[in-house]
Amino acid sequence: MMHSLFAQTVIGYLLMFAVPLLLPVLFIKLVGLGGLRELVTYEAKNTPLHTLDPRLKVLYPVAMGVLSILLSWKLMLVVFALTLLPWVWLRPSKQRIRVLLVMVIGPALAGFWSQGMYFLPNPPIHFLYKFPWTVAWLGSPGITSYGMIFGLQQTARVLVTVSTSMLILVSTDVGDFTWAFERFRAPPHFGFALTAALRFLPEMISRTTLVLRAVELRGYDLSRPHWFQLTRWPDYIRRLARCCVLITVPLLIGTLRGTATMAMVADARGFGVSRRRGSLRVHRLTRTDYWGYAILIALVAAALVLNHLHIGARSYG
Amino acid sequence: MAASAGLSARDVSFAYLGAARASLRHVDLAVAPGEVVLITGASGCGKSTLALALAGLIPSRVHGEVRGQVSFGDRVLTGLPPHEASQLVGLVFQNPNQQLINQTVQSEVAFGPENLALPQPEIAARVDWCLEVTGMAGMRQKAVVTLSGGQKQRTAIAATLAMRPAILVLDEPLSDLDPVGAQEVLATLRRLARAGDTGIVVIEHRVDEVAPWADRVVLMDDGRIVLDQPPRDAWADETPWSRTGVAVPDLIQLGHAVPGAFAAAAPLSVEDAVSVLRGGWFAAGLARAAASRAARDVAAGARLPPGGPVRPAGLPVLSWQGVSVQFGQVCAVDDVTLSVGEGEWTALIGANGSGKSTLISLTVGLGRPASGRVEFRGQPIRPGRVFEHAAQVALLLQAADEMLFAETVRAELEFGTRFRALPPDPVLDVAGAMEFFGFDGLADASPWELSQGGRQRLALAALLVGAPGVLVLDEPTTGQDAHHMQAFLRLLEQVVEHTGLTVITVTHDIRGLASRAARVVVLGEGKVRLDGPARQVFARTAELAKWGVLAPPLARLQVGLLGDDCGEVLLTVGELAAAVGPRPGAATAGVLRS
Repeated sequence: MMHSLFAQTVIGYLLMFAVPLLLPVLFIKLVGLGGLRELVTYEAKNTPLHTLDPRLKVLYPVAMGVLSILLSWKLMLVVFALTLLPWVWLRPSKQRIRVLLVMVIGPALAGFWSQGMYFLPNPPIHFLYKFPWTVAWLGSPGITSYGMIFGLQQTARVLVTVSTSMLILVSTDVGDFTWAFERFRAPPHFGFALTAALRFLPEMISRTTLVLRAVELRGYDLSRPHWFQLTRWPDYIRRLARCCVLITVPLLIGTLRGTATMAMVADARGFGVSRRRGSLRVHRLTRTDYWGYAILIALVAAALVLNHLHIGARSYG
Repeated sequence: MAASAGLSARDVSFAYLGAARASLRHVDLAVAPGEVVLITGASGCGKSTLALALAGLIPSRVHGEVRGQVSFGDRVLTGLPPHEASQLVGLVFQNPNQQLINQTVQSEVAFGPENLALPQPEIAARVDWCLEVTGMAGMRQKAVVTLSGGQKQRTAIAATLAMRPAILVLDEPLSDLDPVGAQEVLATLRRLARAGDTGIVVIEHRVDEVAPWADRVVLMDDGRIVLDQPPRDAWADETPWSRTGVAVPDLIQLGHAVPGAFAAAAPLSVEDAVSVLRGGWFAAGLARAAASRAARDVAAGARLPPGGPVRPAGLPVLSWQGVSVQFGQVCAVDDVTLSVGEGEWTALIGANGSGKSTLISLTVGLGRPASGRVEFRGQPIRPGRVFEHAAQVALLLQAADEMLFAETVRAELEFGTRFRALPPDPVLDVAGAMEFFGFDGLADASPWELSQGGRQRLALAALLVGAPGVLVLDEPTTGQDAHHMQAFLRLLEQVVEHTGLTVITVTHDIRGLASRAARVVVLGEGKVRLDGPARQVFARTAELAKWGVLAPPLARLQVGLLGDDCGEVLLTVGELAAAVGPRPGAATAGVLRS
């Protein structure tokens, strides 16, 4: 029975579409708009990570990004594992861990699955499951462990940036970012734009939630069908798309009103009047900062040396 | 601190770019450092524009045609760069969410001094002082998004003070706050006023709360200043107040309604009024009237001890049975059993975080109770089915603007009918709603062309088309002046009369909206703490205070004179004046407004 063409076709389609269908559900159920808000909100704590030199924090994602560019796919999982270590130091809340896990596992699963089907050496090798012709016409002859491992490595490269950036966002007051950018001679408006974005993104997400609630209260159906009500899903997607248009006006008007006031407040507080800003925090380099700089330099130097020696270096072409 | 000269506006007129009519007309005003000035007036009279002008933001950031000038000492603010003007006159805007740019309290307060490139010890000293004076020192590390409304407003005040202005202008600082938040901000302003070297200009509709400690009261009408007097004299002539439709403090109204009740001008605070009236003929008359009411009520069995659940006479329209709602570790609603009868008008009051909004959101399927049942006419309300339950229960959010989605007034009213079938016998159809809510002739107008009050009426009308059984209003009068508040209350009464709807209002407006309700339910820490007729609930001033609710001034006056066990209070000046009667040997004047 399982070897019949029909059964193989059903299994093939399930394998092909299970993950793409599962990911949005995973996101809506475990993260949602509230979770996104959590993801970009600064968490005031008194951990060593919070008190690190802001310049070191700005350099950290850059340095790890250099590593992810220089080193080969095979070493990407190691680099990604390295970026997870400082999270232990941060001790994030359970809610944030849940959101972060979804944001990490989601792309990992997507990369792992898609490359498993579509990254194929010539001829394809290490098949875990071969699709019958009724599925293969979609462009994939089957799922290979070779492709899956490559997908995992490829995803790890992206996740290095995600992990390092998120770590810095949740542990750094944006005032410290502004100070660090200024020390790097970046224009002050760069720091201010980041400040404003990080401060108002959670507000924007809250307002979007409120407006979506208001649409439903006005009698607009946003109820989601059960997964097995297949005929109702196209209508649900159509309603969602239409809703995006509906909520644009109140969101836009509210945002424009807010930004006008914010601009006046920034002007009144003297933003941009002086080339050099003062700082409430006394930024003195501590032993931890020196260790941090040393580790970053050592990592980048090691990557350069390995690259030069063609050990674990990324091959091009 | 800046120079010890004062702020002055001389013959200031201003028209917004493209506006046909000036928003400010020949305004003259002077404020000295250390002085507290209350500016009030109806919505749209030019108060906020005056605030922008006083802070030097006109015309540098708000463009239009300006005449006259605003100056501080010998420095002209009109045309001065905002960062220089803000070190002389600081402006705190109405909505704290729009003016807090940074992520933590201390970084927000430090933002201005850091921009001025001050030395670190000076920045630290300013931040410490500002946080201390605003009572935010214990929260300096907190993230702004986790603060309550009152804490956000105090942070905004601290951040403005960090620029060390000699004059602080606050544009409706209490309008978005619950009573607890409002008291926090008022305490901060009083502390600043007592410190004596910062001039404070408060633009506010809530005159009762600010007037007792203001040095001057300024009334605006149609862009002009029509009155500028010390509070004791400001209400001597009622004409400008009744013409502008601005609320007169209850105690002042009482002084007008019962001539001779107070020896001189009416006191502005309840405490002063109690000390003046205690032991006199007014208190004796009040005691006699209360005793006779109590005897009558006991005979009729009408005096019920509030506290336990009140059961409506007929079948309840809405009911919560043993409902609890949990948010993580926080129990927002704790085992609430409550039912609301057909045609009843119930006010739900309590401090922020007491569970009011959570409780009402369950009536349309928003949120899921951890235990218990919520029912509409005996049928369970299913969590998540908002679309279905919105046809039974209309919930008007506080932010009514967020509920408007269409391009024209007519399309807005037809919005609901486009997505669901109307019941066969709607109480209000689109045409009926257009007429009833006064939108005739405005069918093709954009909702955004309407005034704020007009947009709120439109949102209400749009919800009612489709004839739901219950109307639930979440803070419908927040931030409105007395005139608009009265107009909305009248409209609501007409709606109830016309449709026979059951109404539940969640409100902090104890003096206006809650007093109109037949029944008041007080929530505290997720539980029903008091439940009964408004007159009896508002007599429990001590219990109300325990749950973060400040009873209306007249109720506190009566409890102050009759004691905590007075059982029932009168809620309007007219009732109180009639109960007490005229002073022996004095003629009764007309009631100013009741």
